[in-house]
Amino acid sequence: MTDERTAELPSLPVLRVTQPNEIPDSGLRLQADVVIVGSGAAGAVTAYELSRSGAKVVVLEAGPHIPSNRFQEHAPTALETLYEDHGNQLNTTGDLAILQGKCIGGSTVVNAAVCFRAPDQVLRHWASEHGLDNLSSEALAPYFERVEKNLFIHPNEPHEVNYNGRLLIEGAEKIGVPAGPTPRNVKSCALSGHCISGCRTDRKQSMLVTYLPWASQLGATILSGTRAETFEVRNRRITAVQASAIDEDGTKKPVRVEAGLVIIAAGAVQTPLLFQRNEIGNSSGQIGLNFACHPSLAVFGEHENDVYAWVGATITAHAGDIENPLKGGYLLEAGMVGPVVTSAWIDGGIGRDFVDFMQRSKKFQAAVTLIHDHNVGRVYLDGDRKQIEYDIDDRDFESVREALRGAARMYFAAGARRVYLPVTRRTTIDRESDIDSVINGLRNGKHMYRLTSYHPQGTMRMGADPAKSVVGPDGRCHDLDNVYVPDASLFPSSLLVNPQLTVYGMASYISDRILARA
Amino acid sequence: MELKLHRRTFTKLGILTGASAIILPSCSEVATAPEGGVRLTEDERELMERFAEVYLPTEGTSLKPRSEVPVVDHIERAFGLMDEPILEQVRIGLKLFDYGSVLIGFHLSRFAALSAEQRLDYIRRWENGIAMQRGIVGVLKKLICLGYWQDIEAGRAIGYRGPVSVAGGVVSLGNAPMPERATQEPI
Ligand SMILES: Cc1cc2nc3c(=O)[nH]c(=O)nc-3n(C[C@H](O)[C@H](O)[C@H](O)COP(=O)(O)OP(=O)(O)OC[C@H]3O[C@@H](n4cnc5c(N)ncnc54)[C@H](O)[C@@H]3O)c2cc1C
Repeated sequence: MTDERTAELPSLPVLRVTQPNEIPDSGLRLQADVVIVGSGAAGAVTAYELSRSGAKVVVLEAGPHIPSNRFQEHAPTALETLYEDHGNQLNTTGDLAILQGKCIGGSTVVNAAVCFRAPDQVLRHWASEHGLDNLSSEALAPYFERVEKNLFIHPNEPHEVNYNGRLLIEGAEKIGVPAGPTPRNVKSCALSGHCISGCRTDRKQSMLVTYLPWASQLGATILSGTRAETFEVRNRRITAVQASAIDEDGTKKPVRVEAGLVIIAAGAVQTPLLFQRNEIGNSSGQIGLNFACHPSLAVFGEHENDVYAWVGATITAHAGDIENPLKGGYLLEAGMVGPVVTSAWIDGGIGRDFVDFMQRSKKFQAAVTLIHDHNVGRVYLDGDRKQIEYDIDDRDFESVREALRGAARMYFAAGARRVYLPVTRRTTIDRESDIDSVINGLRNGKHMYRLTSYHPQGTMRMGADPAKSVVGPDGRCHDLDNVYVPDASLFPSSLLVNPQLTVYGMASYISDRILARA
Repeated sequence: MELKLHRRTFTKLGILTGASAIILPSCSEVATAPEGGVRLTEDERELMERFAEVYLPTEGTSLKPRSEVPVVDHIERAFGLMDEPILEQVRIGLKLFDYGSVLIGFHLSRFAALSAEQRLDYIRRWENGIAMQRGIVGVLKKLICLGYWQDIEAGRAIGYRGPVSVAGGVVSLGNAPMPERATQEPI
């Protein structure tokens, strides 16, 4: 199907996607130079970069193709249609929602558009602990620059920083924490505040409106609703990928793509599961281990005045020492999304307390926390079911506390009269002088906090030593000669900052390594 | 949305209460909608209604009356989107909550049959209970919130704008132009 919007905008690149209903019941057999599994941040960049070099590329995407003119600016509808497991992907404990996009463009379609480069301290740690000397800030800089230019990445302009963002910056500055307008991949933002439901007017430069149409224009074949399942393997090579395209009426159609080069970019949950299901590439025993996810919490601060934190860009400003993630650093990002999310992020109480809380929500300043968590989780198959084992480690809980303490201090400094914490039963800080006693009283435990992860990472660890890592410094699997993994699963440790720019940069870098080797 | 409760957690509750397997109605009574979607049972509907009554009392406030929002129908739809094993766990959780008032709540009737005051008291006890109880009460709250706040007018009553781009006539920028790049060589 060709994107419906292109008729109105004929001079722009066209995204052509083959839908399952266009595939005959007997299935499809394709031959290509490159087959790419996943059309998100890593899959899309790789598809374009390799198509540019003249390669014949086929992209298989499990999720549907939903053109932006069908986005509803309504979070529950978006969760239902654009997210993995309709937004119900959880850790095994059941107290952490792990959100990922599942559609053409992957998580980039539903993300909040924040773009930071991987902190230098993290890259130095990757070099010293994982032998990745090739990934210094200097070496990656040209790749980041290329992506930043392509995706229009720039710090929010003054009109893109709403009152909520200005309150965060003001509070942070008063207590001496670095803060500023957040860089985003948005062109002429329409300030709808609906990033996480997909950008209806194509201002967010997601893969849906950038690298995928560009790859398509260069001849790449892109299939939606087509889940890669089985690898045919011979002599340390994947020779073909078998997939199932599933029609709207549930008919399963077999798709087989033979290719000389295989790129697995299904994201940090599905990529390791594919390898596990096919029992390949795991001589290190590391596949699925080292899962990290930046467990995130929201904090609200109630003001006398109306703040309308949801009016304007989704994320407007940030605060925190992002250059020092390894020393308990945290990041706060100012943003709030409609009432479904507001009521899911913070427990406002029961009965009249809850009603009162929701009625006052326009007076709340709001931000979400990010921390540099340790890679303590695991993704694995229990029979045919995926399991994501992850609970906040006690070491990381200290960072969580610091992030909440920092937020509370900033909010009171900016004039808040009460702070709401993301505990599973209504918990507030009513006076600045109570911050330490309340925060110090918080304990790590199951079902204690309203946790969400937007950033799964780390399950296909990159490293120089094949005994300790799955993927080599150039992105190629240690055990397989023609298989590369460029997605968020290869990060050997978590970033602290939002990962998309690092994924784009790494995928560009890995594409260059592939081309240099070809 | 966090909607899952781990099987092991329930096993722990089984140990805790002992009698649960006998007293809880069988899960096999679960109703399935003809078109393959999921139907809530009468008990589940009643539980949601009674929970919502005390959790989100809209009467006499500026909120959109709960009776004008099909909260439970919305929840039924959400059930239809859950994977079978998750749905099963959620349903067991709801039953434990409903009948837990008999088992561990020291009341002689289901949650749905308690007075408003007793229901509030019961929810508070579960909020302060063990992880499994906190988890189940959290699921119930989130389901009610999802069911109610997805109504666009309910959001507008508290100042939220809802969808804006179409109403505001904001035009699409379309796909981005292909970048010009001098070289195809690796950096
Ligand atoms: C709500 C939300 C907000 C976010 N906000 C930000 C932000 O502001 N800034 C930021 O930097 N990051 C953000 N992120 C994270 C960021 O988008 C991801 O880190 C990034 O997209 C990861 O890239 P990826 O290529 O690893 O995976 P994805 O982009 O998730 O792409 C993986 C794709 O593979 C597909 N797939 C999976 N299995 C198969 C299979 N078997 N066969 C075929 N296809 C398959 C999936 O459907 C998916 O489309 C956010 C994420 C979410 C969910």
